Amino acid sequence: MGLSKSGVLAAVLITGALLGGFHPAFADDEDEKDRAARWKQLQESIFPHREVLDSGGIITVDAPPRALDAALVPVELQMPSGKPVKGVYLIIDDNPAPMAAHFVFGPKADPRDLKFRVRVNAYTNIHAIAETADGQLHAASRFVKAAGGCSAPAGSDEAAAMADMGRMKLRLLGNFNAGKPMQAQLMIRHPNFNGMQMNQITRFYTPARFIRTIDATYDGGQVFHLDADISLSTDPVITFGFVPHGKGQMKVVAQDSSNATFDHSFDVPGTPPG
Amino acid sequence: MRTLGIKLIIAAVLVSTGLWAATEPEGFWTGPVNDPVPTTLKGGKVIHTEDLAALLEKKKDQVVLVDVSDAPRRPDNLPATATWLPVPHPAIAGAIWIPGAGLGAPPASVDEFFRQRLATATGNDLARPLVLYCHDKCWLSWNGAKRAIQYGYRNVYWFPEGIEGWRKAKLPTEVVQPEPTP
Repeated sequence: MGLSKSGVLAAVLITGALLGGFHPAFADDEDEKDRAARWKQLQESIFPHREVLDSGGIITVDAPPRALDAALVPVELQMPSGKPVKGVYLIIDDNPAPMAAHFVFGPKADPRDLKFRVRVNAYTNIHAIAETADGQLHAASRFVKAAGGCSAPAGSDEAAAMADMGRMKLRLLGNFNAGKPMQAQLMIRHPNFNGMQMNQITRFYTPARFIRTIDATYDGGQVFHLDADISLSTDPVITFGFVPHGKGQMKVVAQDSSNATFDHSFDVPGTPPG
Repeated sequence: MRTLGIKLIIAAVLVSTGLWAATEPEGFWTGPVNDPVPTTLKGGKVIHTEDLAALLEKKKDQVVLVDVSDAPRRPDNLPATATWLPVPHPAIAGAIWIPGAGLGAPPASVDEFFRQRLATATGNDLARPLVLYCHDKCWLSWNGAKRAIQYGYRNVYWFPEGIEGWRKAKLPTEVVQPEPTP
């Protein structure tokens, strides 16, 4: 039995590891030129008349080089320098709506580490851009191999997803110490339909319905504000840092493209550390 | 259980090395689009990169090339201020791009659009050679070719290597816009 279980696991792992490879990459000069041109186009469109500097140790971005599931690609942004950061952008170069997320940090934030999951439609560069308090833009990038994340069908049961929409959980990671930064993981149930997913039963595209903003506040002080759209994965999970001055309440308000508002308050501490 | 595990390993290795191919389904394929494809197409011909380049060379004015890849759809409720910038879509030079034509179960309006568009492109001549393609290991083109065969076209080619195979061989491409599939 032991062997067969590990055999199944091995098969699953081998298959999974290679699933991303169906659209071979062309790492030739032509592609490099295309990618550089694309990034230039995006910079001019998203940050007109502004200079985008290199990372300069301000920001790093991490993602699996070959994603197992293009509709659920985990990304991690780190801003370890301690230089005050106003906000951060994640741009997925080859997605049709490349601006995946824009976080603006508030006074209660610890912006050094941020994780969330996105949809990736092609072999593409992703860029993370930190905006420092003095208004400079610093970019880090990474190449990700994933394909088809935008048209991948959402979960099998659309009705169940709609019924659960807006449910939230907050998990505190690590120990609570008043005045010390800590990490928390926010989970929101939301299908985040991007309008490109075909319902196999009705044979029509499921209309787009996606989370537009999330605001997290701690005892009335802003932790972060997020602007997002269709590149955020189904059931968004966001891991972020904040600084609790003492026991208090984390309030989360999310608004979607149909103007539905979901809010929830969590006691901190109150949820047992995961 | 043990043999199941071993079978799965063998299947995984064959899939990963490209040695494993799917068998032809009876009807259209409604499973995942990016999945191993068959090596055959009942009622049609499978054509590979070099032969396709030669066919286009020889019968350029005859062949109707159809790309059935997906196209990005801008959601109506995306804010007007959002950046919407789909990457340029490279196609085999001379191709028309009909997104949706390779869906496993397209809405009737899409089916009808595809039928009409092929009729126009071929000048209502069912003997004209048709070549359908999308991406490497992508069922959309297999479905699209099968659909064209069902419409009655007698010279249907399926090009399974798709745009990736074509570009790898450094053959000419051009950027195209999608046809207005409903």
